[in-house]
Amino acid sequence: MSMESRHKTLQIVIHVILVLLAVYTLAPLVFLLFNSFKSNNEIIASPVALPESWSFQYIANAIEKIHFFEALGITFMVTFFSIVLLIVVSSFCAWAMVRSKSVLANILFMCFTAAMLVPFQSLMYPLLSLFESLGLKNIYGLVIMYGGFGLSMSVFLYHGFIKSVPASLEEAALIDGANLFQMFFKVVFPLLKGTTVTVIVLNGMWIWNDYLLPFLVIGNQEGYRTLTLELYFAKLTSGQYGNPWELIFPAVFVTIIPIVVLYIFLQKYIVAGVAEGAVKM
Amino acid sequence: MDRYYRKRLIPLALPAAILFILVILLPFATGVIYSFCGWRGTYFAGGEHFWEAFVGFDNYISVFKSSKFRSAFGYTIAFTIVAVISLNVVSLLMALLSTALHRGSGAYRTIYFLPNLLGGLALGYIWQFIFEIVYSQLIFGENGLIRIPFFCNMLQDRWKAMFALVILVTWQMAGYMMLIYTTGLNNIPKDLSEAAAIDGAGVWQRFKNITVPMLMPSFTIVFFLTLSKCFMLLDPNVALTDGNFNTRLLATQILRTTKDTNPPDYGLAQAQAVVFFILIAVVSLTQVAVTKKKEVEL
Repeated sequence: MSMESRHKTLQIVIHVILVLLAVYTLAPLVFLLFNSFKSNNEIIASPVALPESWSFQYIANAIEKIHFFEALGITFMVTFFSIVLLIVVSSFCAWAMVRSKSVLANILFMCFTAAMLVPFQSLMYPLLSLFESLGLKNIYGLVIMYGGFGLSMSVFLYHGFIKSVPASLEEAALIDGANLFQMFFKVVFPLLKGTTVTVIVLNGMWIWNDYLLPFLVIGNQEGYRTLTLELYFAKLTSGQYGNPWELIFPAVFVTIIPIVVLYIFLQKYIVAGVAEGAVKM
Repeated sequence: MDRYYRKRLIPLALPAAILFILVILLPFATGVIYSFCGWRGTYFAGGEHFWEAFVGFDNYISVFKSSKFRSAFGYTIAFTIVAVISLNVVSLLMALLSTALHRGSGAYRTIYFLPNLLGGLALGYIWQFIFEIVYSQLIFGENGLIRIPFFCNMLQDRWKAMFALVILVTWQMAGYMMLIYTTGLNNIPKDLSEAAAIDGAGVWQRFKNITVPMLMPSFTIVFFLTLSKCFMLLDPNVALTDGNFNTRLLATQILRTTKDTNPPDYGLAQAQAVVFFILIAVVSLTQVAVTKKKEVEL
């Protein structure tokens, strides 16, 4: 065999392996799609087949049972405000820390870095009792908690990037008479766009899907449950009747639709954001 | 200029500092103190204030005597070792294969990354069904494609369930880690490998002597991420087995301790949480120190 054709064969073999892996990756999600249109009996009898009919009754039922639109709204609000809080607070802080080059800034930076090693479990109970005594064991408290937990990584990412940006632009803006906030929002913040995407993606992925924190803070309070919480309680109660799958499959299906749609449109930014984040760690 | 910023450091960093103190520092410090107390969540056993409920190392002694904790401890370590190995091997292979392609690697990356965006709980429910029905009946069951009893009813046995968790975690996170390895591989200058090939180095020699050392920074990140994510894993554990059949990971154990005990023993849970923190800190710092040293030696 010539060098050329050996090379070609190798490329084809690699493609075959990677396609198989892609099928393996997508298979559970395809099941999910099919089984969202089936009754419990049909799911058990033919779990991987196409549904007999594409009837939306199970999806409609799931949307009602998990209060889908309400929960979607809550999840969106919590994720949105947490990320806005994170971006503002951490970019300010990182900027000030890099530029001031003081001992205090170094101490602060070390604290943030060390906090990345603290697992959530080691402070969740005291955190809850503290927030309860402050009257913040609610949706507002939840946003503040996410702000606190996402802080370390976000400050770290911004800090790493701002270090590589020379301060001369800011000096020029200052001489031109800009005040501190103009300087930040007109000069510095636009340069941080790439890092901001990374901060949004990494925190969004986690906050949107988080189960434990909403479970501890909101619990089964009606009207404030996030999508993940609704799903958890749907599974918990559906088990009592012995045919949970015709609720669980469509429920999981509708909860992941928003993310999958978002991913289809923004995959370039999401993948780039994650890759960037990993390099800067 | 430094002075200009130095004067403004405190007001600019203040919001972050307040958040940090409120959400991380203060709860962490009280958590360490409460782990030495008879804490019941809403009150203290033996008095109104924590210093009246001080119990010394009693909570810690109970932690290490508790068979549930010891079981979760061993289970977490075993799971983390297997999952970290599995994740690294799979994602590195995927990255090596896809970077060897002339075109199309971006599409594969996009597909492999997708499961990362979905919640551990939701995925856990889908995989519960896959393990119970698809694996146990259709593929590996008695009338299935290939009969492999090990893959049947994986969620009803302590150690089989651990491998089920490894399968799920590898499926979910390999695409993320692959992305990091791919970025690392693309940063290796092509001429290094080409020069070695001209000098007569084979594929394996080039991999061992060029790719691996040049990829050390990526190893550091991937090891750190996989180690900490696996150690702290909770959602899939809750969704797959909910800790039944002795399958609690430490995160689940800490969460459930307050339900196991009556009245709920938050002091005991908190002592477990402190041990958990120390374990994670020691393992992560050791790992970063070891892999960083390898980077420097280069």
